[in-house]
Parts: sequence; structure tokens; C-alpha cells
Amino acid sequence: MKVEPLLYGDRKVYTVSAFNRGVASWVARLPSIWVEGEVTEFRRQQGWQSVFFTLKDAADGACLSVSMPRGRFDGLRLDLADGMTVHVFGRPELYEARGVFQLRALSIEPLGLGAILAGLERLKRKLAAEGLFALERKRPLPVLPRRVGVLTGNEAAAKRDFVTAVQTRFPAANLLVAQTYVQGHAAPAAIAATLQTLAREPEVDVIVLTRGGGSFEDLLPFSDERVVRAVAECDVPVVSAVGHEQDTPLCDHAADVRASTPTAAARLVVPNERELRERLDTGRTALARGANAALERARSSLTRDRERLDRAPALLVERKRAGLDGLAGRLQALSPQKTLARGYAIVRTDNGIVRSSAEVESGSRVDVELAKGRFGARVETKS
Amino acid sequence: MTDDVSFEDARRELEQIVAKLEGGQASLEEAVALWERGEVLYRTCVGKLDAAQGKIEELGKRVQEAQP
Repeated sequence: MKVEPLLYGDRKVYTVSAFNRGVASWVARLPSIWVEGEVTEFRRQQGWQSVFFTLKDAADGACLSVSMPRGRFDGLRLDLADGMTVHVFGRPELYEARGVFQLRALSIEPLGLGAILAGLERLKRKLAAEGLFALERKRPLPVLPRRVGVLTGNEAAAKRDFVTAVQTRFPAANLLVAQTYVQGHAAPAAIAATLQTLAREPEVDVIVLTRGGGSFEDLLPFSDERVVRAVAECDVPVVSAVGHEQDTPLCDHAADVRASTPTAAARLVVPNERELRERLDTGRTALARGANAALERARSSLTRDRERLDRAPALLVERKRAGLDGLAGRLQALSPQKTLARGYAIVRTDNGIVRSSAEVESGSRVDVELAKGRFGARVETKS
Repeated sequence: MTDDVSFEDARRELEQIVAKLEGGQASLEEAVALWERGEVLYRTCVGKLDAAQGKIEELGKRVQEAQP
């Protein structure tokens, strides 16, 4: 379609109507395509020619207006409601009267199980690639949480199971229970927001996400990207106890620990009080024993020192005596007595021991010492 | 000095002290100091156990306000 501008000198100017018509004709040349999204703001009224709703991208909230002739819509016999994920086959168009871009729906299909599973698998791969499920992200759970945050639905069973199990193990545990929507289209945003609120509460050291069993669809909110991200980004460790053993919603992968049941979750988040007190008392006994042993060691080493101190003076005399005896021995070894015993004699004059005949005169008197006794003698001859 | 210590940290230190004392390497002064510290830690742990009051509170109202 040719759209004629108005001319203001050199400037071409289009009326709003002409502009819309021009863009509309350009948009109309786009092919019909399938679009996936979540239904919100669904509006259907008797007097209207068309039904309207907004398709929302669950990941980032991007929106697209959709309209469908009422007769055609009613013919599909869809029980369309907000929160449903659908595939819409339609033609992009510009609603000229208001300049609004929209998708003119030709067909609408609720997502089948296969498509939902495929979507979950895609989401799982995407989040895993981002590292949200990485083992090194997992945090240890506190041994003794000051308060345990509990996020649960308003169905009583899961909450009751959990609380009962907690009170059996640790009757004095402090719990902060937050009930919220865990099912339906409002659930993902509600769960994510409640998780954040719980994590910000004072003294909440761990949060348990719990929900009883349900159908695959019932548990879907726990695989919603918003919930999975909220679990991964939660400031305190999260235990996921959703559904039964065989269910593994995506939040299980993002949680720090997965519990198969609410009862198992209780065992993970609170200690067995009796066991814990016993262990502490055992530690205290060992502490006293260890300190006493050190005391005993010190005492006996002190006693040993004292004994050595007592013995020291006697030891000193002993040592000196031994030294003296040694000297006496050595002295004896040097004495001439042994030589004399072999038959030698020592001859002395007033000048001392005689070693040469030149030292004596004939007729002079000498003194002779033998091994036994001594006698005087006179020198007869000398040579 | 132990008020802000977490239960885990207190218990871990208590276990380390017990192991050290049982090792028998500590001098008397060290042993006495370890024992005193251990007693403080023991009382901290038991105190924290005793402090839990078994309160079950509901966060319901505020959560409703957090709805989109």
C-alpha cells in the first residue's frame, strides 16, 4: 500500500493514520509463526469480538499482546487461564487504530507433557551451564541452627511431618514457618519472594523448602526458573524436600542439600539433642582427663627432680672420695716399695740417696733401707 | 569473648583442644590454659543448646504482603 506524505517544504510528514497504515502493511508481510509464553491478563467478554491476553516470557518477563476472534477461540474449547504455558500460532500485526503491535492468533495449544519436559530439560541445561548446580556451590548445613526457616504450602501434611520430626530430635529447635502458594501460576513468584523474606529474618541459619507429594504439574513451580534461581542465590543454605523420593524438581539441583522427605529434611537440619549433649560431655571428660594427665606428669617430674636434689650432696662427697682413691692408687704405683721388695736397697748419706760410688768415702757411714727395715753400715772399699 | 562464636566453631575448637591434651605434649601451663579454654567452649556449646526455646513462629502475614 502506498502511503502519501504531506509536504512542508522539503520535509515529508506522515499523519498518524498514514504512519500506522504503512507500518501495518509492512508488518503484515511477516510470516505466521509459533510463539511460546505464559498466559497473563486473559480477558474474554460476551460483547467483545475478540478475546485478549498477554503472552509473557517466564525468563525475563518480556510481553506480547495477543488477540483472537471470539468465535474461533470458543471453537478451540480451551480452558485457558492465567499461568498456563501455551504455544500460539499467529500473524504479527499492528492494530492500526491504536498503533499497538500484537499477535493475531490463529491457533492456541496448551503445552503438552512432552513439550513441558523438553522445556524443563532445556532450562536444566541452561542453569547447569551457568554453574547453578555446581557441587562447589553447595554449603555445609549448620550443626545447630539458631532458627530454621520453613517454607511450605498450606496443606498440613508436609509441615506436620517436618515439625514432628524436628521436635523428636531436638525439642527446643526454633522454627519460623512461612506458608505460601506452592501450586498454580502465582506459586513461582510467591515461593521466590518468600524464600528471600525468610533468608532476611534474623537468626535464620538454614531454610527448608518443603511440599508434600503431588502430580507432575503440581510440582512444576519448584522447577520454575525464578524458584531455582532464588534457591541458588539464597543467602542461607537451603534444603529441598519437595514431593516424594522419585520427584526431582529443578530446585533440588540448586539446593545445598536434597532431602527425600520432610522427615529426612528434619534429620538434616537439627541435631539429635541427646547425642549432641552426650558428645559434648564426653569431650568435657576427656578435657579434664587430659589436664589431669598433664598435672600428673608435672607432679612426677617434680618428684624426680626433688629426689635428685636430695641425693646431690652425698653424691658430691662420693665423687670426691673416688677421685681421692684414684690418686692414692696412682701414688702407690709410683712408690719404691715394690722395687725394694724385689731385693733392691736404697743407700743414703747425710747428703741424700747415693747413686754413685764417688759420692762416698772409704770408712764413711751410710744408711741402708730395705723392703723391710733399715741398718747402718760403713764403706769398706770402693771402686 | 565467646558470645559471637558459632556453635560449630566452638565445638570444633573444643575437639581440637581435647586432641591436643590427649596427645600429652602440652606443658603444665599450656595444659591448664587449654583446659580453661575448653571449659569455656563446653559451656558456650551447652549454653547455645539451652538457649533454644522450641519456639514455632509463623511468618504468614508478612509473606502475604510479599505477594506480587
